[in-house]
Amino acid sequence: MQLHHAVRGAVWVIFYLLFILAPLFALLAGSIPPARDFWTEFSVALGYAGLAMMGLQFGLTARFRYVTQPWGEDVIYHFHRQISLVAVALVVAHPLILFAVRPELLALLNSIQAPWRARFAALSIYSLIALVVMALWRAKLKLRYETWHLTHIVLALVAVAAGLLHMIGWGFYLIDPWKRALWIGLTIFWVGLLLYVRIVKPLFMLRRPYRVLEVRGERGDTSTLVMRPDGHPGFRFSPGQFGWLTVWGSPFRITGHPFSFSSSAEVADGRVEMTIRNRGDFTSAIPELPVGARVYIDGPYGAFTIGNPADMHVLIAGGVGITPMTSMIRTLADRGDPRPVILLYGSKDWESITFREELEALKARLNLTVVHVLADPPPDWTGERGFITAEMFKRHLPPPYADHEYFICGPNVMMDAIEAALGEMKVPMSKYHSERYSFV
Amino acid sequence: MRRLFADRLVLATGVVVILLSILFALSRVG
Repeated sequence: MQLHHAVRGAVWVIFYLLFILAPLFALLAGSIPPARDFWTEFSVALGYAGLAMMGLQFGLTARFRYVTQPWGEDVIYHFHRQISLVAVALVVAHPLILFAVRPELLALLNSIQAPWRARFAALSIYSLIALVVMALWRAKLKLRYETWHLTHIVLALVAVAAGLLHMIGWGFYLIDPWKRALWIGLTIFWVGLLLYVRIVKPLFMLRRPYRVLEVRGERGDTSTLVMRPDGHPGFRFSPGQFGWLTVWGSPFRITGHPFSFSSSAEVADGRVEMTIRNRGDFTSAIPELPVGARVYIDGPYGAFTIGNPADMHVLIAGGVGITPMTSMIRTLADRGDPRPVILLYGSKDWESITFREELEALKARLNLTVVHVLADPPPDWTGERGFITAEMFKRHLPPPYADHEYFICGPNVMMDAIEAALGEMKVPMSKYHSERYSFV
Repeated sequence: MRRLFADRLVLATGVVVILLSILFALSRVG
Protein backbone atom coordinates (compact mmCIF):
# COMPACT_ATOMS: atom_id res chain seq x y z
CA MET A 1 0.00 0.00 0.00
CA GLN A 2 1.56 3.33 -1.00
CA LEU A 3 1.80 6.16 1.54
CA HIS A 4 -1.12 8.26 0.27
CA HIS A 5 -3.19 5.08 0.10
CA ALA A 6 -2.12 4.21 3.65
CA VAL A 7 -3.24 7.65 4.88
CA ARG A 8 -6.55 7.33 3.04
CA GLY A 9 -6.98 3.83 4.42
CA ALA A 10 -6.34 5.06 7.98
CA VAL A 11 -8.85 7.90 7.52
CA TRP A 12 -11.51 5.44 6.39
CA VAL A 13 -10.83 3.16 9.39
CA ILE A 14 -11.36 6.14 11.71
CA PHE A 15 -14.58 7.04 9.87
CA TYR A 16 -15.71 3.42 10.12
CA LEU A 17 -15.20 3.34 13.91
CA LEU A 18 -16.90 6.72 14.27
CA PHE A 19 -19.94 5.51 12.33
CA ILE A 20 -20.19 2.52 14.68
CA LEU A 21 -19.52 4.21 17.99
CA ALA A 22 -20.77 7.81 17.63
CA PRO A 23 -24.48 6.78 17.38
CA LEU A 24 -23.99 4.66 20.53
CA PHE A 25 -22.45 7.44 22.58
CA ALA A 26 -25.01 9.92 21.25
CA LEU A 27 -27.48 7.97 23.39
CA LEU A 28 -25.75 9.44 26.45
CA ALA A 29 -26.60 12.99 25.41
CA GLY A 30 -29.88 14.76 26.22
CA SER A 31 -32.32 13.12 28.62
CA ILE A 32 -31.05 9.77 29.87
CA PRO A 33 -33.25 7.11 31.46
CA PRO A 34 -32.29 5.75 34.91
CA ALA A 35 -29.27 3.45 34.83
CA ARG A 36 -29.65 -0.30 35.19
CA ASP A 37 -27.01 -2.82 36.23
CA PHE A 38 -23.64 -3.03 34.43
CA TRP A 39 -24.40 -6.20 32.45
CA THR A 40 -27.72 -4.87 31.14
CA GLU A 41 -26.10 -1.61 30.02
CA PHE A 42 -23.15 -3.50 28.51
CA SER A 43 -25.44 -5.84 26.57
CA VAL A 44 -27.45 -2.88 25.27
CA ALA A 45 -24.25 -1.16 24.08
CA LEU A 46 -23.22 -4.36 22.27
CA GLY A 47 -26.62 -4.51 20.59
CA TYR A 48 -26.47 -0.92 19.34
CA ALA A 49 -22.84 -1.21 18.16
CA GLY A 50 -23.50 -4.61 16.55
CA LEU A 51 -26.46 -3.24 14.62
CA ALA A 52 -24.42 -0.23 13.45
CA MET A 53 -21.73 -2.63 12.22
CA MET A 54 -24.33 -4.70 10.38
CA GLY A 55 -25.74 -1.58 8.75
CA LEU A 56 -22.33 -0.44 7.60
CA GLN A 57 -21.89 -3.74 5.76
CA PHE A 58 -24.03 -2.16 3.05
CA GLY A 59 -21.34 0.50 2.71
CA LEU A 60 -18.50 -2.01 2.43
CA THR A 61 -20.15 -3.67 -0.55
CA ALA A 62 -21.42 -0.45 -2.20
CA ARG A 63 -18.42 -0.36 -4.59
CA PHE A 64 -17.28 3.16 -3.72
CA ARG A 65 -14.07 3.34 -5.70
CA TYR A 66 -12.60 6.06 -3.49
CA VAL A 67 -13.12 3.95 -0.36
CA THR A 68 -12.02 0.58 -1.71
CA GLN A 69 -8.98 1.74 -3.68
CA PRO A 70 -6.47 1.80 -0.79
CA TRP A 71 -7.29 -1.82 0.04
CA GLY A 72 -8.40 -3.59 -3.11
CA GLU A 73 -11.86 -5.07 -3.56
CA ASP A 74 -10.82 -8.60 -2.57
CA VAL A 75 -9.59 -7.35 0.82
CA ILE A 76 -12.75 -5.27 1.34
CA TYR A 77 -14.88 -8.38 0.74
CA HIS A 78 -12.64 -10.38 3.06
CA PHE A 79 -13.10 -7.68 5.73
CA HIS A 80 -16.86 -7.68 5.04
CA ARG A 81 -17.03 -11.42 5.74
CA GLN A 82 -14.86 -11.37 8.85
CA ILE A 83 -16.32 -8.25 10.47
CA SER A 84 -19.85 -9.60 9.94
CA LEU A 85 -18.96 -12.51 12.23
CA VAL A 86 -17.90 -10.01 14.90
CA ALA A 87 -21.08 -7.96 14.39
CA VAL A 88 -23.34 -11.01 14.61
CA ALA A 89 -21.49 -12.19 17.73
CA LEU A 90 -22.10 -8.78 19.37
CA VAL A 91 -25.78 -8.75 18.41
CA VAL A 92 -26.31 -12.33 19.64
CA ALA A 93 -24.40 -11.57 22.87
CA HIS A 94 -26.96 -8.81 23.63
CA PRO A 95 -29.91 -11.15 24.46
CA LEU A 96 -27.67 -13.90 25.82
CA ILE A 97 -26.24 -11.57 28.49
CA LEU A 98 -29.74 -10.31 29.31
CA PHE A 99 -31.05 -13.87 29.68
CA ALA A 100 -28.12 -14.69 31.98
CA VAL A 101 -28.62 -11.72 34.32
CA ARG A 102 -32.42 -11.57 34.10
CA PRO A 103 -33.73 -15.13 33.50
CA GLU A 104 -37.34 -13.89 33.54
CA LEU A 105 -36.66 -12.38 30.09
CA LEU A 106 -36.44 -15.92 28.66
CA ALA A 107 -40.24 -15.74 28.43
CA LEU A 108 -39.73 -13.30 25.52
CA LEU A 109 -38.53 -16.24 23.42
CA ASN A 110 -42.15 -17.34 23.21
CA SER A 111 -42.92 -15.32 20.09
CA ILE A 112 -46.68 -15.99 20.32
CA GLN A 113 -47.06 -14.20 23.64
CA ALA A 114 -44.08 -11.86 23.45
CA PRO A 115 -44.61 -8.16 22.63
CA TRP A 116 -43.80 -6.93 19.14
CA ARG A 117 -40.52 -5.37 20.19
CA ALA A 118 -39.28 -8.83 21.28
CA ARG A 119 -40.62 -10.46 18.13
CA PHE A 120 -38.64 -7.99 16.03
CA ALA A 121 -35.51 -8.78 18.06
CA ALA A 122 -36.02 -12.50 17.44
CA LEU A 123 -36.65 -11.90 13.72
CA SER A 124 -33.49 -9.81 13.47
CA ILE A 125 -31.33 -12.40 15.20
CA TYR A 126 -32.79 -15.39 13.34
CA SER A 127 -32.21 -13.55 10.05
CA LEU A 128 -28.60 -12.84 11.01
CA ILE A 129 -27.96 -16.45 11.97
CA ALA A 130 -29.50 -17.67 8.69
CA LEU A 131 -27.43 -15.11 6.80
CA VAL A 132 -24.17 -16.27 8.39
CA VAL A 133 -24.94 -19.98 7.97
CA MET A 134 -25.77 -19.48 4.28
CA ALA A 135 -22.66 -17.35 3.70
CA LEU A 136 -20.26 -19.73 5.44
CA TRP A 137 -21.67 -22.95 4.00
CA ARG A 138 -23.01 -21.80 0.63
CA ALA A 139 -21.14 -24.52 -1.25
CA LYS A 140 -22.09 -27.29 1.20
CA LEU A 141 -25.73 -26.21 1.07
CA LYS A 142 -25.44 -26.39 -2.75
CA LEU A 143 -27.00 -22.95 -3.14
CA ARG A 144 -26.80 -21.35 -6.57
CA TYR A 145 -24.76 -18.16 -6.36
CA GLU A 146 -27.61 -16.02 -7.69
CA THR A 147 -30.15 -17.52 -5.23
CA TRP A 148 -27.76 -17.07 -2.35
CA HIS A 149 -26.97 -13.47 -3.32
CA LEU A 150 -30.64 -12.44 -3.42
CA THR A 151 -31.36 -14.23 -0.13
CA HIS A 152 -28.29 -12.60 1.42
CA ILE A 153 -29.54 -9.11 0.59
CA VAL A 154 -33.11 -9.80 1.75
CA LEU A 155 -31.96 -11.33 5.05
CA ALA A 156 -29.60 -8.40 5.68
CA LEU A 157 -32.42 -5.92 5.06
CA VAL A 158 -34.81 -7.84 7.35
CA ALA A 159 -32.15 -8.09 10.08
CA VAL A 160 -31.38 -4.37 10.07
CA ALA A 161 -35.01 -3.22 9.75
CA ALA A 162 -36.20 -5.60 12.49
CA GLY A 163 -33.30 -4.48 14.69
CA LEU A 164 -34.36 -0.85 14.32
CA LEU A 165 -38.01 -1.68 15.05
CA HIS A 166 -36.89 -3.56 18.17
CA MET A 167 -34.96 -0.48 19.35
CA ILE A 168 -37.84 1.89 18.68
CA GLY A 169 -40.34 -0.55 20.21
CA TRP A 170 -38.28 -0.81 23.38
CA GLY A 171 -37.62 2.91 23.29
CA PHE A 172 -35.53 2.94 26.46
CA TYR A 173 -32.73 5.08 25.06
CA LEU A 174 -34.75 6.55 22.19
CA ILE A 175 -37.23 8.62 24.20
CA ASP A 176 -35.82 11.85 22.77
CA PRO A 177 -37.26 12.37 19.27
CA TRP A 178 -33.84 13.44 17.94
CA LYS A 179 -32.31 10.14 19.05
CA ARG A 180 -35.08 8.22 17.30
CA ALA A 181 -34.51 10.40 14.24
CA LEU A 182 -30.76 9.71 14.42
CA TRP A 183 -31.18 5.93 14.36
CA ILE A 184 -33.98 6.01 11.77
CA GLY A 185 -31.79 8.32 9.65
CA LEU A 186 -28.86 5.95 10.03
CA THR A 187 -30.98 3.02 8.89
CA ILE A 188 -32.22 5.01 5.90
CA PHE A 189 -28.57 5.82 5.12
CA TRP A 190 -27.59 2.12 5.26
CA VAL A 191 -30.48 1.07 3.06
CA GLY A 192 -29.67 4.01 0.78
CA LEU A 193 -26.20 2.55 0.25
CA LEU A 194 -27.83 -0.65 -0.92
CA LEU A 195 -30.22 1.25 -3.19
CA TYR A 196 -27.27 3.16 -4.63
CA VAL A 197 -25.48 0.02 -5.78
CA ARG A 198 -28.65 -1.84 -6.83
CA ILE A 199 -30.76 0.98 -8.35
CA VAL A 200 -28.78 4.18 -8.96
CA LYS A 201 -25.68 2.55 -10.44
CA PRO A 202 -27.66 0.20 -12.70
CA LEU A 203 -29.72 3.21 -13.92
CA PHE A 204 -26.46 4.88 -14.89
CA MET A 205 -25.19 1.69 -16.52
CA LEU A 206 -28.43 1.28 -18.47
CA ARG A 207 -27.44 4.37 -20.46
CA ARG A 208 -23.96 2.98 -21.08
CA PRO A 209 -24.35 -0.50 -22.55
CA TYR A 210 -21.68 -2.51 -24.34
CA ARG A 211 -22.03 -4.81 -27.35
CA VAL A 212 -20.22 -8.10 -27.79
CA LEU A 213 -17.91 -7.68 -30.77
CA GLU A 214 -16.32 -11.11 -30.71
CA VAL A 215 -16.16 -14.23 -28.55
CA ARG A 216 -12.71 -15.73 -29.00
CA GLY A 217 -11.86 -19.25 -27.83
CA GLU A 218 -8.56 -19.48 -25.93
CA ARG A 219 -6.47 -22.35 -24.64
CA GLY A 220 -7.44 -23.81 -21.26
CA ASP A 221 -11.25 -23.92 -21.73
CA THR A 222 -11.29 -20.12 -21.67
CA SER A 223 -12.99 -17.49 -23.83
CA THR A 224 -12.23 -13.85 -24.44
CA LEU A 225 -15.21 -11.50 -24.68
CA VAL A 226 -14.40 -8.48 -26.81
CA MET A 227 -16.85 -5.66 -26.04
CA ARG A 228 -17.20 -2.15 -27.33
CA PRO A 229 -19.18 0.76 -25.86
CA ASP A 230 -22.53 1.31 -27.55
CA GLY A 231 -23.32 5.03 -27.89
CA HIS A 232 -20.83 6.33 -25.35
CA PRO A 233 -17.03 6.65 -25.13
CA GLY A 234 -16.58 3.92 -22.47
CA PHE A 235 -14.09 4.32 -19.66
CA ARG A 236 -10.33 4.23 -19.19
CA PHE A 237 -8.92 1.57 -16.91
CA SER A 238 -5.51 0.75 -15.51
CA PRO A 239 -4.05 -2.63 -16.42
CA GLY A 240 -4.88 -5.17 -13.69
CA GLN A 241 -8.24 -3.64 -12.83
CA PHE A 242 -11.56 -5.44 -13.18
CA GLY A 243 -15.23 -4.77 -13.85
CA TRP A 244 -18.54 -6.33 -12.80
CA LEU A 245 -20.02 -7.95 -15.88
CA THR A 246 -23.76 -8.47 -16.31
CA VAL A 247 -24.91 -10.55 -19.25
CA TRP A 248 -28.29 -11.98 -20.19
CA GLY A 249 -30.43 -9.22 -18.78
CA SER A 250 -30.51 -5.71 -17.49
CA PRO A 251 -28.00 -4.11 -15.11
CA PHE A 252 -30.72 -4.45 -12.46
CA ARG A 253 -30.01 -8.17 -12.32
CA ILE A 254 -28.94 -8.76 -8.78
CA THR A 255 -25.77 -10.59 -9.68
CA GLY A 256 -22.88 -9.20 -11.65
CA HIS A 257 -19.63 -11.12 -11.82
CA PRO A 258 -16.18 -9.59 -11.36
CA PHE A 259 -13.69 -10.24 -14.17
CA SER A 260 -10.31 -8.66 -14.86
CA PHE A 261 -9.78 -6.82 -18.10
CA SER A 262 -7.31 -8.70 -20.28
CA SER A 263 -6.91 -6.09 -23.02
CA SER A 264 -4.38 -3.29 -23.20
CA ALA A 265 -5.31 -0.12 -21.34
CA GLU A 266 -3.95 1.81 -24.32
CA VAL A 267 -6.77 0.81 -26.67
CA ALA A 268 -8.25 4.15 -27.69
CA ASP A 269 -11.80 3.31 -28.81
CA GLY A 270 -13.13 2.19 -25.41
CA ARG A 271 -13.04 -1.47 -26.41
CA VAL A 272 -12.40 -3.83 -23.49
CA GLU A 273 -11.76 -7.55 -23.28
CA MET A 274 -12.42 -9.98 -20.47
CA THR A 275 -11.02 -13.49 -20.54
CA ILE A 276 -13.25 -15.94 -18.70
CA ARG A 277 -12.58 -19.57 -17.80
CA ASN A 278 -15.38 -22.11 -17.96
CA ARG A 279 -16.00 -23.05 -14.33
CA GLY A 280 -19.10 -25.09 -15.00
CA ASP A 281 -21.49 -22.42 -13.72
CA PHE A 282 -22.84 -19.49 -15.78
CA THR A 283 -19.37 -19.13 -17.31
CA SER A 284 -20.01 -22.29 -19.36
CA ALA A 285 -22.48 -20.29 -21.49
CA ILE A 286 -20.00 -17.47 -22.26
CA PRO A 287 -18.67 -19.14 -25.47
CA GLU A 288 -22.27 -19.25 -26.77
CA LEU A 289 -22.85 -15.53 -26.26
CA PRO A 290 -23.94 -14.13 -29.64
CA VAL A 291 -22.03 -11.33 -31.35
CA GLY A 292 -24.00 -8.10 -30.89
CA ALA A 293 -25.41 -9.15 -27.49
CA ARG A 294 -25.92 -6.27 -25.08
CA VAL A 295 -23.90 -6.49 -21.85
CA TYR A 296 -23.17 -4.10 -18.98
CA ILE A 297 -19.87 -3.40 -17.26
CA ASP A 298 -19.61 -1.65 -13.90
CA GLY A 299 -16.04 -0.55 -13.55
CA PRO A 300 -13.17 -0.11 -13.43
CA TYR A 301 -12.32 -1.26 -9.91
CA GLY A 302 -9.28 -2.52 -8.05
CA ALA A 303 -5.93 -1.38 -6.72
CA PHE A 304 -4.03 -4.21 -8.46
CA THR A 305 -2.26 -2.13 -11.06
CA ILE A 306 1.15 -1.03 -12.30
CA GLY A 307 2.43 2.52 -12.09
CA ASN A 308 4.73 2.66 -9.08
CA PRO A 309 8.49 3.17 -9.47
CA ALA A 310 10.17 -0.19 -10.06
CA ASP A 311 13.28 -1.51 -11.80
CA MET A 312 11.32 -4.45 -13.17
CA HIS A 313 7.90 -6.07 -12.98
CA VAL A 314 7.55 -9.61 -11.69
CA LEU A 315 4.18 -11.12 -12.57
CA ILE A 316 3.14 -14.36 -10.92
CA ALA A 317 0.03 -15.98 -12.34
CA GLY A 318 -1.77 -19.23 -11.63
CA GLY A 319 -4.33 -20.49 -14.16
CA VAL A 320 -6.83 -17.83 -15.19
CA GLY A 321 -4.91 -15.40 -12.94
CA ILE A 322 -3.03 -14.69 -16.17
CA THR A 323 -5.87 -12.35 -17.23
CA PRO A 324 -4.80 -9.14 -15.41
CA MET A 325 -1.15 -9.96 -16.16
CA THR A 326 -1.92 -10.11 -19.88
CA SER A 327 -3.47 -6.67 -19.63
CA MET A 328 -0.30 -5.39 -17.93
CA ILE A 329 2.01 -7.04 -20.48
CA ARG A 330 -0.01 -5.79 -23.45
CA THR A 331 -0.13 -2.28 -21.97
CA LEU A 332 3.61 -2.17 -21.21
CA ALA A 333 4.28 -3.36 -24.78
CA ASP A 334 1.98 -0.69 -26.24
CA ARG A 335 3.71 1.96 -24.13
CA GLY A 336 7.15 0.76 -25.29
CA ASP A 337 8.23 0.32 -21.67
CA PRO A 338 11.94 -0.68 -21.67
CA ARG A 339 11.97 -2.26 -18.20
CA PRO A 340 12.23 -6.05 -17.88
CA VAL A 341 9.09 -8.06 -17.18
CA ILE A 342 9.35 -11.59 -15.76
CA LEU A 343 6.22 -13.71 -15.85
CA LEU A 344 6.08 -16.87 -13.72
CA TYR A 345 3.03 -18.64 -15.01
CA GLY A 346 1.62 -21.80 -13.46
CA SER A 347 -0.64 -23.97 -15.63
CA LYS A 348 -2.00 -27.49 -15.54
CA ASP A 349 -0.26 -28.70 -18.70
CA TRP A 350 1.36 -27.41 -21.89
CA GLU A 351 -1.80 -27.49 -23.98
CA SER A 352 -3.92 -25.53 -21.49
CA ILE A 353 -1.67 -22.45 -21.25
CA THR A 354 -3.99 -19.54 -22.02
CA PHE A 355 -2.32 -16.87 -24.24
CA ARG A 356 0.71 -19.17 -24.81
CA GLU A 357 1.33 -18.08 -28.39
CA GLU A 358 0.60 -14.42 -27.78
CA LEU A 359 3.02 -14.27 -24.85
CA GLU A 360 5.72 -15.67 -27.15
CA ALA A 361 4.88 -13.03 -29.77
CA LEU A 362 4.96 -10.21 -27.18
CA LYS A 363 8.63 -11.01 -26.43
CA ALA A 364 9.45 -9.23 -29.69
CA ARG A 365 7.94 -5.97 -28.39
CA LEU A 366 8.94 -6.09 -24.73
CA ASN A 367 11.84 -7.22 -22.54
CA LEU A 368 9.67 -10.16 -21.47
CA THR A 369 10.77 -13.46 -19.93
CA VAL A 370 8.11 -16.13 -19.52
CA VAL A 371 8.75 -19.00 -17.10
CA HIS A 372 6.11 -21.69 -17.51
CA VAL A 373 5.51 -23.89 -14.48
CA LEU A 374 3.52 -27.00 -15.29
CA ALA A 375 1.69 -29.14 -12.75
CA ASP A 376 1.42 -31.98 -15.24
CA PRO A 377 4.34 -31.56 -17.70
CA PRO A 378 4.95 -33.72 -20.77
CA PRO A 379 7.70 -36.40 -20.43
CA ASP A 380 10.31 -34.37 -22.34
CA TRP A 381 9.67 -31.15 -20.32
CA THR A 382 12.87 -29.55 -19.02
CA GLY A 383 11.30 -26.43 -17.55
CA GLU A 384 9.86 -25.76 -14.11
CA ARG A 385 7.30 -28.21 -12.78
CA GLY A 386 4.96 -28.50 -9.80
CA PHE A 387 3.92 -25.28 -8.10
CA ILE A 388 5.57 -21.85 -7.98
CA THR A 389 7.94 -21.68 -5.00
CA ALA A 390 10.42 -19.28 -3.38
CA GLU A 391 13.28 -21.36 -4.81
CA MET A 392 11.93 -20.73 -8.30
CA PHE A 393 12.02 -16.97 -7.64
CA LYS A 394 15.68 -17.23 -6.71
CA ARG A 395 16.46 -19.23 -9.86
CA HIS A 396 14.83 -16.71 -12.21
CA LEU A 397 14.94 -13.31 -10.51
CA PRO A 398 18.04 -11.15 -10.18
CA PRO A 399 18.68 -9.72 -6.70
CA PRO A 400 18.06 -7.37 -4.96
CA TYR A 401 14.55 -8.82 -4.72
CA ALA A 402 13.15 -5.85 -2.80
CA ASP A 403 13.70 -3.50 -5.76
CA HIS A 404 11.20 -5.27 -8.02
CA GLU A 405 7.44 -4.72 -8.14
CA TYR A 406 5.51 -8.00 -7.71
CA PHE A 407 2.00 -8.84 -8.85
CA ILE A 408 0.36 -12.11 -7.84
CA CYS A 409 -2.97 -13.49 -9.05
CA GLY A 410 -4.14 -17.06 -8.77
CA PRO A 411 -5.84 -19.60 -6.52
CA ASN A 412 -5.87 -18.85 -2.80
CA VAL A 413 -3.43 -21.66 -1.91
CA MET A 414 -0.88 -20.35 -4.41
CA MET A 415 -1.34 -16.76 -3.22
CA ASP A 416 -0.75 -17.71 0.43
CA ALA A 417 2.40 -19.68 -0.46
CA ILE A 418 3.85 -16.89 -2.61
CA GLU A 419 3.06 -14.11 -0.15
CA ALA A 420 4.87 -16.17 2.52
CA ALA A 421 7.82 -16.75 0.17
CA LEU A 422 8.12 -13.02 -0.58
CA GLY A 423 8.08 -12.35 3.13
CA GLU A 424 10.99 -14.78 3.56
CA MET A 425 12.86 -12.97 0.78
CA LYS A 426 12.46 -9.71 2.75
CA VAL A 427 10.35 -8.09 0.04
CA PRO A 428 8.41 -5.28 1.78
CA MET A 429 4.60 -5.38 1.63
CA SER A 430 4.57 -2.13 -0.34
CA LYS A 431 6.38 -3.86 -3.22
CA TYR A 432 3.88 -6.59 -3.89
CA HIS A 433 0.28 -6.60 -4.89
CA SER A 434 -2.10 -9.49 -4.88
CA GLU A 435 -5.62 -9.98 -6.13
CA ARG A 436 -7.70 -13.02 -5.32
CA TYR A 437 -10.02 -13.78 -8.17
CA SER A 438 -12.36 -15.87 -6.04
CA PHE A 439 -13.28 -13.07 -3.64
CA VAL A 440 -17.08 -13.25 -3.90
CA MET B 1 -0.56 -9.99 3.44
CA ARG B 2 -3.22 -7.32 2.95
CA ARG B 3 -5.71 -9.95 4.09
CA LEU B 4 -3.64 -10.51 7.22
CA PHE B 5 -3.79 -6.77 7.80
CA ALA B 6 -7.56 -6.87 7.28
CA ASP B 7 -7.81 -9.74 9.80
CA ARG B 8 -5.92 -7.66 12.35
CA LEU B 9 -8.21 -4.74 11.61
CA VAL B 10 -11.24 -6.93 12.25
CA LEU B 11 -9.77 -8.06 15.56
CA ALA B 12 -8.85 -4.49 16.55
CA THR B 13 -12.34 -3.24 15.62
CA GLY B 14 -13.95 -5.97 17.74
CA VAL B 15 -11.72 -5.18 20.71
CA VAL B 16 -12.31 -1.40 20.42
CA VAL B 17 -16.09 -1.86 20.19
CA ILE B 18 -16.18 -4.20 23.22
CA LEU B 19 -13.95 -1.89 25.28
CA LEU B 20 -16.06 1.15 24.44
CA SER B 21 -19.23 -0.81 25.21
CA ILE B 22 -17.73 -1.54 28.64
CA LEU B 23 -16.95 2.17 28.96
CA PHE B 24 -20.54 2.98 27.99
CA ALA B 25 -21.86 0.63 30.69
CA LEU B 26 -19.42 1.91 33.29
CA SER B 27 -20.33 5.51 32.54
CA ARG B 28 -23.95 4.57 33.21
CA VAL B 29 -23.52 2.67 36.47
CA GLY B 30 -20.60 4.76 37.75
